Amino acid sequence: MSVMNQTLENAAIGEKRIQTVLSSGLTVVVIPRPGFHKTFATFATRYGSIDNAFHDPKTHDIITVPDGIAHFLEHKMFEKEGGGDAFDDFARLGASSNAYTDYTSTTFLFQTTSHVKENLTVLLDFVQSPYFTEANVNKEKGIIEQEIRMYLDMPGDRLHSNLMKALYVNHPVRIDIAGSVESIRTITPEDLYTCYQTFYHPSNMILLVIGDVDASEIIDWVRSNQEPKGYAFQGPVVAVYPEEPSTVHQKHVEKTMVVSMPLFVMGYKDAEVGLTGKALLHREITYGLMWQMLCGKSSGLFQELYREGLINDRFYARYGGSTTFGFSALGGETPDPEKLEARLVEGLVKAPLTQEDLDRAKRREMGEFIGLFQNPEELAYAYNSLFFRGIDIYDYMDTVQHVTLEDIQQARSTHLQEPQRAVSVIRPQNP
Amino acid sequence: MSTAEATAFIGTMEQGTGWFCFPTKRFKTITLHAFWINQLSRQEAALGALLPHVMQRGTTSWPTFQRMEQTLESLYGASFRADVGKMGDKQLLSFHLEIVNGKYLPGHPDTLTQGLEFLYEVLEQPLTDGQSFVPAIVDQEKDLLRRQIQSLINDKGQYALTRLIEQMADGRAFGLRKLGTIDELDRITPQSLFRHYEAVKGHKPFVLFAVGDVDPKTIERFMARYQTRQADMLEPIAPYTQRFHDRTLIERQNVQQGKVNMGYHTGITLTDLRYPALMMYAGILGGFPHSKLFLNVREKASLAYYAYARVDAALGAMLIGAGIEFEDFDPAIQIIGEQLDAMAQGEISEQEWEFTLRAFENDILSEEDNPSQIIARQLEQILMGGGQSGTALIQALHNVTREQVQEVAKAVSLDTIFFLTQAEDVQRQEEAQ
Repeated sequence: MSVMNQTLENAAIGEKRIQTVLSSGLTVVVIPRPGFHKTFATFATRYGSIDNAFHDPKTHDIITVPDGIAHFLEHKMFEKEGGGDAFDDFARLGASSNAYTDYTSTTFLFQTTSHVKENLTVLLDFVQSPYFTEANVNKEKGIIEQEIRMYLDMPGDRLHSNLMKALYVNHPVRIDIAGSVESIRTITPEDLYTCYQTFYHPSNMILLVIGDVDASEIIDWVRSNQEPKGYAFQGPVVAVYPEEPSTVHQKHVEKTMVVSMPLFVMGYKDAEVGLTGKALLHREITYGLMWQMLCGKSSGLFQELYREGLINDRFYARYGGSTTFGFSALGGETPDPEKLEARLVEGLVKAPLTQEDLDRAKRREMGEFIGLFQNPEELAYAYNSLFFRGIDIYDYMDTVQHVTLEDIQQARSTHLQEPQRAVSVIRPQNP
Repeated sequence: MSTAEATAFIGTMEQGTGWFCFPTKRFKTITLHAFWINQLSRQEAALGALLPHVMQRGTTSWPTFQRMEQTLESLYGASFRADVGKMGDKQLLSFHLEIVNGKYLPGHPDTLTQGLEFLYEVLEQPLTDGQSFVPAIVDQEKDLLRRQIQSLINDKGQYALTRLIEQMADGRAFGLRKLGTIDELDRITPQSLFRHYEAVKGHKPFVLFAVGDVDPKTIERFMARYQTRQADMLEPIAPYTQRFHDRTLIERQNVQQGKVNMGYHTGITLTDLRYPALMMYAGILGGFPHSKLFLNVREKASLAYYAYARVDAALGAMLIGAGIEFEDFDPAIQIIGEQLDAMAQGEISEQEWEFTLRAFENDILSEEDNPSQIIARQLEQILMGGGQSGTALIQALHNVTREQVQEVAKAVSLDTIFFLTQAEDVQRQEEAQ
C-alpha cells in the first residue's frame, strides 16, 4: 500500500510540503525551508501519558501500566544495546538531539546543519531498537526522580497539575505526564517492551523533516531504511479511557508553596468530546478566537482587570482540544484569587461579542499562524499535533476565515458552564 | 543558501546612535528590535525597568492601552514587547516588534512601514503632559513591577543563579538586578520617570536592528530622523575581577530539590583571543549531553537530571549548575571537581573534542535561522566592542589547540558555590497523585 510522493501547496502563504505513506504505514512529510542552515526532524508516535490502558494487539486483553511510563520509555529509548547511547551517535554527526512526551504523543528529534541523511538513519534506528534491562531501567529511576522533583518545585507546573486533578474525575489526563516518584519506581523492562510493541509501530508514527533539503531524496532515503526492517501490517492501536462525567471532580483546589504572590488558574472542561479532523479544528479555532475576544489584551475585560491590578500582562486564556478530552485554562499571578475569579465568572458571560472584535482576532490568528512556519521547532510541534488529530495544517487559514460571530456566541454558551468549571490556586508560604 | 542572502549586518553606529539591518528572505516575519543602553546603577535600575512598561501603555495617537493592543492586533497580531534586559554591567531598555511580512497577507500591506511607525510612536510620542507620565498609569505599573521583582523566588533555578552572581559581584554593578529594588521603585514619581525618559532618549546609546526581507535603505532612511542626535559614546562592558576564592554559601527554603550553582573567574571575555579556547573548555566540560558533567553527574552517578557548564561571555565568568538531592551536595561537588581536574590534566578524548567542535558548529550556524538570535549575537559584539561570530568563530574554534585549552584550565578559578537547599525543620512531602 505504498503511495507516490504527493506535493501539497498553500500558495498564499508561500508554503508547500511533500509527503508519502510507506508500506509499513509510516507517514513521511518534508517541509522545505529554503535558505535555512539547519534541518529539524521529528519522529513521533501517537502515544502519550494518557495511554496507560489499552488492548494488547495480540491477545486483545486490556493491559494497565504504571503512570508516567510513556515518558520513562522516551528516556530509555536513547540507550543502545552493547553500551553507548543515541546522543553520542548524533553528536558524532554534529547534531543535537532531544525528546519530549505530552498527554497524547511522544516525540524524538534532532537538529543539524550537516549530514542530514545520516542523522535520519540514527533517528529511525534508535527509536526502532528498544533495549531495556533490569539494570538500565533501575539506573534511570534516579534521573527521572530528580526530573519529577524539579517539576514539584515549579509553581506554574503544580498549578496546572492541580487544575487537571480538579477538572477530571477519571480521565488519565489528570495524572502528571512524568507520573510520580512512586509510580515510576514500579516500572519494569517488561512493561516498557509491552508499551513499545504496542505504540511504536510505524503505522502509529510520523516522520517530519523541515529544512533546505531535497524532499524526494529524503523520502527515498527513509524508504530504503524502513523496507528492510519488514514491519508487518498492524491495525490501529486501541487505548482505553474510563468514562468521564461532564461535571468536575472538585470545584476548588489549593496548595501553598514558596511563591511571592498567589497563582490562579480557572479551567472549563469539554462536556462533549470525540471530535476529530475538521470538526475538532473548527472547535479549537473558535474557542481560541473566543478567548481572545473575551479576555485577550485588547478586550475590555482584560483592560479593566489590568487597571485594577488583578492581573498582569502574563495573564493567559487558551483552549486545547484532543479527541478524548479538551479544556480551557485561564489565569496568572494575582494578589486576590477570589476577587479575580468572581470578576471573571461575571465578566466572561456579560462581555459583548462584536463583529469588529472577531475580525481583529482573526487577523491576529492568521498572523500567528504564518509566523509559525519560520520556526521549525514550533512548526513541528503544531504539525504533529494536528496530524495525530486527523487535521490538515493547510485547512487552518480557511477555517479561521469561516468562523462566524454566531459560532463564538454558541461556543460561549456551551463551554462556559458552571458544572464544568474548576479553580486551582497556589498561595504563598514563608520561605 | 541563495546568493542574495546577507551573511552579516549592514549598518553603522556613530555618536551613540546606530542601526543594523540583516536582509534575508528566510523568514516570514520582519523583526524590529530597538535598544537604549544604560549603565546599571542602584539609582537608575528601577527607573529603567519601569520606563518600557509605562511607555507601552499609550502614545499620542493611541492614548489607551486598549487602543495600543487593538492596533497591534489589526497589524496581523504583531507581537510587541517592551521590557528590560541585562548584559554584564549594562541595562538594556528593549522594544521588540515582530510583524508578518505583508507579501504573505491578503492585499499585501506594507507592514514594514507600519511597524517602523509604530515603534517610532512608542519611542518618541509616549503619553505625557510634557512634564510627567500619567500618574495612574505609573502607579499601576509600579505595582506590577514590584510584584515582578518579588516573583524571582518562584523560579528556583533562576533564583539560585541570580543570588550567586549577586554574591560574586559583592555590590558591583554587574550583580545588580535588571529590575532594580523595591526601595528604588517606591521612590519613583511620574515626574522623575519623565526626567529619566528625557535623559535616556536624549543621551543614552540607541541602536535599532531589523531582520527579514527588508531593504537596508528603508532602515537608513528611517534612521535619518535621528541624524542630529548627540548621545554618549557606548562604553564596552567591563569584565569582572575576582574577589572571593572557593567560598561556599548555603541558603535554605522549603524546596523539593537542591540547586547547586558554581561561579568561576576566567578573565576571558568575547573579545579575548583565548575566547574560542574557553568555549571549547566549557563545551567539553559541560555544554552538551556528551560532555563530562552530563556523563558523570547524570549518566554515571544518577545524581541529577541536569548538569551544565556555560560561559558568560560579557563577564568572563564560567557558571556550573545542577539540580540534586539535598544530601548529595558533597558527592556532586566532588564529581564536578574531578571533571575540572581532568580538564586541567588535559584528559580530553578525541571523541569529546570532535563532538564539541561539531556541536558548536551546529549551534552557531543554527542561530542564523532565528531572528532574535541573529540580533542577540550582533548586540553582544556591539556591547563588548568586538568578538567573532558565524563562520569566523567556527574557523577560530577549529584552530584551537589542546595546549590552549589546558592554558584556559589554568586561568579558571573557583569564586563562589551557592547551594539552595531545604529548610532544616521541614520534611519533604511526597506528593500524592
